[in-house]
Amino acid sequence: MAQNRFVPARRRLLQGAAGLAALGVAPAIVRRADAAYPERNIKVVIPTAQGGGADRLARAFTETWRKLLNTAFEFDFFPGGAGQVGYELFTGRRDKDGYNLLFGNMGPEMLMYVLQKPKYKFPEDYFYFCRIDVDDSAVYVRDESPFKKIEDLVAEAKKRTVSVATSRLPHPGSIGVLALGDALGAKFNLVPYGGGNPTMVATLNGEADCGVLPVALPIKIGGKVRVLGVFNSENPLAAQTGNAPPINKVFGTKIPDLYSSRAWAIHTEAADKFPDRFKLLNDTAPQVFKDPDFKTMYEKTAGSWEQASYGDRAVCTRYAMAMVELAERYRPLLSAKK
Amino acid sequence: MGWDSAFLLELVLRSFGYWYLIVPAVVLGVVVGAVPGFNAQNSLIILLPLTLTMEVEKALIFMVSLYCATHLGGGIPAILVNIPGTGGAAATTLDGYQMARKGQAQQALVLCFTSSVFGGLITSIATVALLPWLAQIGYVMRSVEMVVVMLFGLTLIAVIAARDTLKGLIAGMFGLLIGAIGTDHIYSTPRATFGFLELLDGVPLVPALIGLFAISEALVMLDEESIAAGDARERAQKANWADTIEGLRLSLKGWWQIVWTGFVGLWIGIIPGAGASIASFVAYQQSRMFSKTPELYGTGHPAGVLAPESANNGVTSGTLVPLMAIGVPGGSTAAVMMIVLQYHGVVLGPRLFIESPTLAYGVFVAMAVAYVFMIFTILPLARYMARVTLVSTGVLVPIIVSCTIVGAFADREYLFDMGLALVFGVIGYIARKTNFHVTAMLIGIIIGPLFEQYLVRALRLSQGDLTVLFSSTIGNVLWALLALSLLLPYWRGRGKKVSEEATG
Repeated sequence: MAQNRFVPARRRLLQGAAGLAALGVAPAIVRRADAAYPERNIKVVIPTAQGGGADRLARAFTETWRKLLNTAFEFDFFPGGAGQVGYELFTGRRDKDGYNLLFGNMGPEMLMYVLQKPKYKFPEDYFYFCRIDVDDSAVYVRDESPFKKIEDLVAEAKKRTVSVATSRLPHPGSIGVLALGDALGAKFNLVPYGGGNPTMVATLNGEADCGVLPVALPIKIGGKVRVLGVFNSENPLAAQTGNAPPINKVFGTKIPDLYSSRAWAIHTEAADKFPDRFKLLNDTAPQVFKDPDFKTMYEKTAGSWEQASYGDRAVCTRYAMAMVELAERYRPLLSAKK
Repeated sequence: MGWDSAFLLELVLRSFGYWYLIVPAVVLGVVVGAVPGFNAQNSLIILLPLTLTMEVEKALIFMVSLYCATHLGGGIPAILVNIPGTGGAAATTLDGYQMARKGQAQQALVLCFTSSVFGGLITSIATVALLPWLAQIGYVMRSVEMVVVMLFGLTLIAVIAARDTLKGLIAGMFGLLIGAIGTDHIYSTPRATFGFLELLDGVPLVPALIGLFAISEALVMLDEESIAAGDARERAQKANWADTIEGLRLSLKGWWQIVWTGFVGLWIGIIPGAGASIASFVAYQQSRMFSKTPELYGTGHPAGVLAPESANNGVTSGTLVPLMAIGVPGGSTAAVMMIVLQYHGVVLGPRLFIESPTLAYGVFVAMAVAYVFMIFTILPLARYMARVTLVSTGVLVPIIVSCTIVGAFADREYLFDMGLALVFGVIGYIARKTNFHVTAMLIGIIIGPLFEQYLVRALRLSQGDLTVLFSSTIGNVLWALLALSLLLPYWRGRGKKVSEEATG
């Protein structure tokens, strides 16, 4: 009996202990359940300056994305070294926990990766998982320029060296111009101006004969510039660029499609270590494109809606690797080290 | 748009109606400008969540008011403690601080406020009237012309070196060497970065400014009881409203100086990539060149305060011209403003002046109104601010060092920058103790990279042909003016010597 009496007592004790333990553990369990990612703001490294294309597009995108993730985004800008500073900082000094993302321009920044040999490795240290847009590289001139067609410009470049304003040497547009010169025996002199806005000014004030930039900026400037051609097999923005032709179609050249693509990137380690977090980011990002608010914001701040184009991790990686190949091919022309 | 007085009056009244936005923005801007490391650009970024939710007109008025006030605020610590709040106020230290040392801090502050306000006011009104023509300046100032403009700034090193040629030139060259750190402008090849990621983009201005001016000055200050010592202390203690009036009288006397140096600032502000630092150095150099008493500059001369302060406020309206007229921001602060404007769907460029004239012209009118508010907000405070020169250095120095070290971090949020500021502090302290001029160093650090950028670009465009530097009419006119700048003091000196010899 004593034992019998004891048993219930022990049971009660055990039950009580279990109850107490449960009381202690329960909040922890509840906390774990409540602590659904993201429980704090997501920090974004942008490897270019404030007010640039990446800044505007990142803000437009996160305006909708934040509603899907129920969190806010904080932006930090680290321009310099053609984007190297931002990438090194992101891969080397930011916690790899899914609370730190990078928003960059894949084309020029992969070219920089090859040419400047930074400390990080792609895709071992980070990868892109959501492409936002496809912004074709375009050759343009100011409205008063004597070059009315791309043929006029190339004909002139066969007689003398034509100066071309570009944002930076390691840029898809710069490669397009070099490839065009190579294919047709025309001489182009690329002059880097360190950003889209100064490049535009250099063309508008006639310092450079022409410019090469992602087509969104010449379209935004409007009637003051004329787009002569795009480095793509088709020109989806023909109506907004005065029916500027694809350059390959004019000359029968085989220059690869060259465009800028802004994309979200995450640490590879974060995606491996926190697959649920990555899954949430990866699943919600494409949904942003379906939100009419994003379309409105995109058209206000970034470009034409036709340029917005989602690309998943595979698409982004394929594009990034293609840029690596291009950079290797044109390394002697893009780098001070021959 | 022709000159429409009724429309402009409506814009003025409309701007005054927004006093509840302008006054807090002005107060905030003055504070932000006065703390080294904080500036209009990083403040506007912090405030983006607020401005993005405001109506576009209100947001723009708030932003330009804050922006203008930061330019005024930067001059306050430059005068009181020899620490420019922003790069644009670095030239103000040359004479402003000397005035404070003489017990004339109040007069110097009044000169700073009036020249800032009237320089900014006149140029913003001029911008409204001359906008279509001013927008053309961005088209005619190319790399070649900018090489010469940068040389105007660099010749200030020679002016400073005039007092001790060897030391002045060594300091200037040292600054230029530091300015060459970072990636090159064509291939982005790192130079002298010693593997530091933080130096890839060059030596940041804010830690250099804080180290060379704030920390080194704080260390030097410890040698004295207060900034105004001896007779100067007595004079500062007796300062009253009469000193404010004296400052106003000196400002009135230098009205022409305010006007033309304001326009120098406006002109430089319109050129994308230039800015308040360049404008104030060029204005100071030009003011000294045309002065009848150039030898007084650097000793606490009122004109040495008027010129840089008017110029760096003239920059404010200039910076907005390319943004509004062609949709290309002229500087980093304008780029942040562009985010807000585009967020609200404002299409920038010539169409803006036809489709939304209230917004397009209103921004410059609001700027003028902000300056009006500024003078009434800040002028009465000069008397009380000047008391800083009487505070014991034992109290002042720890405050300066701790605040500025935080400022060194705030700009880029790198701990590295705090260390860099300390390194520059030591360099600055040694320089001061051995009579090497820290301003000459700073000129090299600020202007050196820009000079190199424009020179390399011009040479790349010409494929290495040096004659490109003399290939433009405007450039050649600027070269002639530069030569005149350098020869004029020499001719004057010779003339003076001859007349002295003649009089026996």
